Amino acid sequence: MAKVEPSRTEPQRPTPPGQQQPVKKQPPRAAGEIGWHPVWRWLVSLLIVLHLTAVFSAPWDMATSAALPPGYIAPTDNMGRPLPPQAGILQEPILTRALHRTFFNDYLNLLYLNHGYEFFAPDPNGSNLIRYQIRDSGGREITSGQIPDLSKQWPRLLYHRHMMLAAQTGDMGEESGRRYAQHLLNVNGGHTITTELVFHKLLSPQDVKNGAKSDAAESYQVLAKIQEVAKPKPEQPIALPSTEGEP
Amino acid sequence: MGVFADTRGYVSETWQAWNKFWFQSVDPATLCLLRLLAGTLIFYTHLVWSLDLQAFLGPEGWLPVEYVRQLQVNQFQSNQWSVWSVFFWIKSTWLLWTVHIIALLIFFCFMIGLFSRTMAVLAFLFAVSYAHRVSPGAFFGLDKVNCMLALYIMLGPCGARYSIDSLRRSRRGITTPVAPSTSANLAIRLLQVHLCIIYFFTGMAKVIGETWPAGTAVWWAIAIPEYRSIDMTWLANWPVFVAMATHATVFWELSYWALVWNRFTRPLVLWMAVFVHGGIALVMGMITFGAGMIIANLAFLRPQTVHRWFDPIAGRFARLLGAGK
Repeated sequence: MAKVEPSRTEPQRPTPPGQQQPVKKQPPRAAGEIGWHPVWRWLVSLLIVLHLTAVFSAPWDMATSAALPPGYIAPTDNMGRPLPPQAGILQEPILTRALHRTFFNDYLNLLYLNHGYEFFAPDPNGSNLIRYQIRDSGGREITSGQIPDLSKQWPRLLYHRHMMLAAQTGDMGEESGRRYAQHLLNVNGGHTITTELVFHKLLSPQDVKNGAKSDAAESYQVLAKIQEVAKPKPEQPIALPSTEGEP
Repeated sequence: MGVFADTRGYVSETWQAWNKFWFQSVDPATLCLLRLLAGTLIFYTHLVWSLDLQAFLGPEGWLPVEYVRQLQVNQFQSNQWSVWSVFFWIKSTWLLWTVHIIALLIFFCFMIGLFSRTMAVLAFLFAVSYAHRVSPGAFFGLDKVNCMLALYIMLGPCGARYSIDSLRRSRRGITTPVAPSTSANLAIRLLQVHLCIIYFFTGMAKVIGETWPAGTAVWWAIAIPEYRSIDMTWLANWPVFVAMATHATVFWELSYWALVWNRFTRPLVLWMAVFVHGGIALVMGMITFGAGMIIANLAFLRPQTVHRWFDPIAGRFARLLGAGK
């Protein structure tokens, strides 16, 4: 890796003798010199501060959550179940919300920098899988499969994209599962499709020591099941606004 | 009197230090190396879309455009205009493929350093276009790293070295040395500070979890079968090693922003980055994401180090292409 050396000015490489030096308007700046006019530096400094504040504000906002006041006791309904706090009870982190959501949100979106950077946080967890089975109008199975499928998706990056499709279904909601189902019907043909959102549980170290297998049937838990019928294909491939079940 | 003089001296010294940090001219070798490596990664990332382009980026793929647009309004809590992509307006297959091939050509030119600055700007715009089309849906950390790298690399003279542009200059007989650049320093500094923000917040996010503070998270990460490319479940018999790896990861991420600036601790911090991201790449199959994060960490290499390590290789390539070093 980087060899530790004190900072020094890199010497300019001399032009070989006999070669004509091209005419220059300005002599080249030596390494280590401060560049640009002070006015430019002030202006760019302002932009740097704004940009880095924006970059900081997104994960800061996503890392903070609303708090309940100390000693808060949730009211209960007549069955004794706690009710959600009323508006005004929750103490929102107003600074992070304002910085990110009011000032910098659109700027960050434009540059695709609106992220929380929660890589494998707060905890690694099991995976979502989507299993599907497609049948024709007579009820006969045409094809079945799973998303992701390492045996069908190569290279690894393509497999990983499919894994994300299944993983992000949980965040997007049931409607995304219906969209996947319609896509699979479009690609494979068929009349009906049954899809299952499956959670693949992880094995603990003790499970592994006890000889448990990660692909054992009991390690899969069905979270949701969707049945869809193929929609008639429009003659013109135009995107129609959906009116049902959208979040 | 003394208070005013000291305060004025403090402000003056701070401004000088600020100027030195952001606006000092540097050899653009580090930035050019980043262009070559990040360009290769970005080109490959987008080449892979070709294998299922219609499904992921077409108007009626896994997630149709109109559905993704509605999700984005809810998720990003913003007006639609700021979440933009050229793929939102593409309706036909032939146009989708035309735009994709043009984008691949741009990424390729960015990688090899042909018309570098122009291609760098276009590469960034296209990288964001692809990423927004698959967010939410199929995006992950790789897209974030790609866009971040492309954004900062386009700010400086990224084609001054290790590029076709520099070879063309040599062939034309232009032998003047590459001038130190203020914008190269600015680009590198922004990337470095951005990396510090990333590691700080990913460390903070882990602290509020349960398995990271408990020292078992590395086990649960390697236990995910869908990620696994090398079976490391034998670590079930090595709980102390798992705990050390887990705690070391969290402490490294939380302290990265402080230790990476010190010349004595920097090599340790950067080698840890190679170890962590290389491990994720090899064991969890996230080769591209791991490579992207390692490339971003190379922003901390000094230009002299880059010359020492990469000039011999670049010289060989230049001689192969008939342009001398």
